[in-house]
Amino acid sequence: MDTLAALGHGFLVALTPYNLLWSAIGVTVGTAVGVLPGIGPALTVALLLPVTYGLEPTSAFIMFAGIYYGAMYGGSTTSILLNAPGESGSIVTAIDGHAMARQGRGAQALATAAIGSFIAGTIATAALTFVAPLMVKMALLFGPAEYFALMVLALTTVTAVLGSSLARGLASLFLGLALGLVGIDMQTGQARLAFGVPELLDGIDTVVVAVGLFAVGETLYVASRHRFETEEIYALKGSKWMSREDWARSWKPWLRGTLLGFPIGTLPAGGSEIPTFLSYLVEKRLAKKPEEFGKGAIEAVAGPEAANNASAAGVLAPLLSLGLPTSATAAIMLAAFQQYGLQPGPTLFDNNPELVWGMIASLYIGNVLLLVLNLPLVGFWVKLLLIPRPWLYAGILVFSSLGAYTLNNNVIDLVILWVIGLAGFGMRVLNVPVAPCVVGLILGPLAEQQFRRALAISQGDPSVFLTHPISAVLLIIAALLVIGPMVLRYRSNGAGKGGSASPSGTHPAT
Amino acid sequence: MTTGRSMRAGEAVLGGGLFALGGLIAVETMLTPSVGRAVVGPALFPYLISGGLVLVGLSLLREAFAGAVAHAEGLELDLWAVALVAAGLAVQFLLLDTLGWIPSTTILFAAVSRAFGGRRLMVNLAIGLALAAFTFVAFNYGLGLNLPEGSIVERLTSPDAE
Repeated sequence: MDTLAALGHGFLVALTPYNLLWSAIGVTVGTAVGVLPGIGPALTVALLLPVTYGLEPTSAFIMFAGIYYGAMYGGSTTSILLNAPGESGSIVTAIDGHAMARQGRGAQALATAAIGSFIAGTIATAALTFVAPLMVKMALLFGPAEYFALMVLALTTVTAVLGSSLARGLASLFLGLALGLVGIDMQTGQARLAFGVPELLDGIDTVVVAVGLFAVGETLYVASRHRFETEEIYALKGSKWMSREDWARSWKPWLRGTLLGFPIGTLPAGGSEIPTFLSYLVEKRLAKKPEEFGKGAIEAVAGPEAANNASAAGVLAPLLSLGLPTSATAAIMLAAFQQYGLQPGPTLFDNNPELVWGMIASLYIGNVLLLVLNLPLVGFWVKLLLIPRPWLYAGILVFSSLGAYTLNNNVIDLVILWVIGLAGFGMRVLNVPVAPCVVGLILGPLAEQQFRRALAISQGDPSVFLTHPISAVLLIIAALLVIGPMVLRYRSNGAGKGGSASPSGTHPAT
Repeated sequence: MTTGRSMRAGEAVLGGGLFALGGLIAVETMLTPSVGRAVVGPALFPYLISGGLVLVGLSLLREAFAGAVAHAEGLELDLWAVALVAAGLAVQFLLLDTLGWIPSTTILFAAVSRAFGGRRLMVNLAIGLALAAFTFVAFNYGLGLNLPEGSIVERLTSPDAE
């Protein structure tokens, strides 16, 4: 009952006209930016960060919640009509969604995505409401050793999951960890890897890295490829409404997608790749006409899109209650919290209940607003896809540099943005995933801090990580996740043709 | 235009770069005099990470020479467009403090538009100018942020400020 009272209070905060306005602005701008091709939720949140600087924290995070959910909705529009998934969670949606658009059923694909996202988002937000306080209770049992083990688990799973090649995933992760070293060491005040540049003493901002990799690197890559690739937009035509059959084929996938998405989203392995992919496989297995899959089956849009949005809510549970970001988007949200001097975790629920519960309540409100914005107005959002590419990408870079500059009002951040953007271009060309880099940058320093705290408490005895049962279990799982794929790869290489399964498919930025 | 062979070179550069970065971090950490009396000093994680970078770098180098690279069949790249976008960003951060947000961002916008095949320079400059001016006004006056006016403009408007 405590939870319901807290949620009720959150609604009082979120429903004040002032905060409601910011929520509405957040979902609208989030959808608008999320619809733009190549911009996933992580980048949307990063690019819109400066807009919130003038606000007090509670309103800012209510707006963030709107931007976050709005970006998830907007992403499906690009996947379906343009076949350009802005993040890995939308890849599966793009397959059948785009096939439907080619058959002139784009409107139905968008509708099942929007309604499915609404249902999944609402159920998953309700689940978040009750799971987050439980996780807070669990988090209170955690000492530094457990936190460290949890972060090791998150670091390993993020890499193992995202990379098509383990070496490339690890390359990205270690690059992020190295960037995280720059700046003043929190425990001793000693400068590390600052090379005498005073601006580097504060460290390299997560937002600059994310914008550099996702926006600048991606723009450079698209610039290098646009002469060789043509994109086609499939106009909306025919009936805009889902038929009775569409509904009948959609509602079960929505619910199943939600059931897959939320729990997986809350795990340290987190993210949206696994649940969307699993949902696709489940629907294909259960479908009456599995042969339609890949050619425009509505179940293959309804299920994964629901799973995607449910996992988005799930990711917020460990972020808010443990301070553990499990996706690139969550890492940027964490950076946004830190910008306000707030540290997500159990104490946030005690010290800033208005903010946490106002934000959770605004997720319910945002979901309703998004359904209103997306069903009748989808034709308007589609117009955004028609912005000429030269102006679109030029505009993206203007806002990228604006975001990087306004973080600290300092040109050095723009130089860092440039360097990281060029590195991001190289990574994109070589098929190195960029998300582990962002997650490594934010988790690395946190993991180090907990590790050194744990050892300070145990007076230098490293066995604390194995004598604490929770910590030991988490570390064993992490080890299995690293060793397991290696063993499998080794065996399949030995059996097969010395296979060098080189990943050739394009993978999107997030 | 990029062939499979230069993709291997790229992969080798990535591996070599990570290897070198690992070495740099190790050397820099060794050269930094240690302060503080914590049980675990500020040097442990840099060493661990530099070790990881060296190992990943070596493994990527091995993949490059074994031919296990991305796009082994080659990937066409328009490097002129890449250079133009990169130059636009460089011009922006080089001129931002002197010329200010509006002119330097207009140049960035025009450069990126050109890289994406927008040929009407005057139209692109005009749109860039409009966007730069709009963001300047919206963020400086609407949201209270500080986009630079430029030292030249500041000197012209308030000559006594020197």
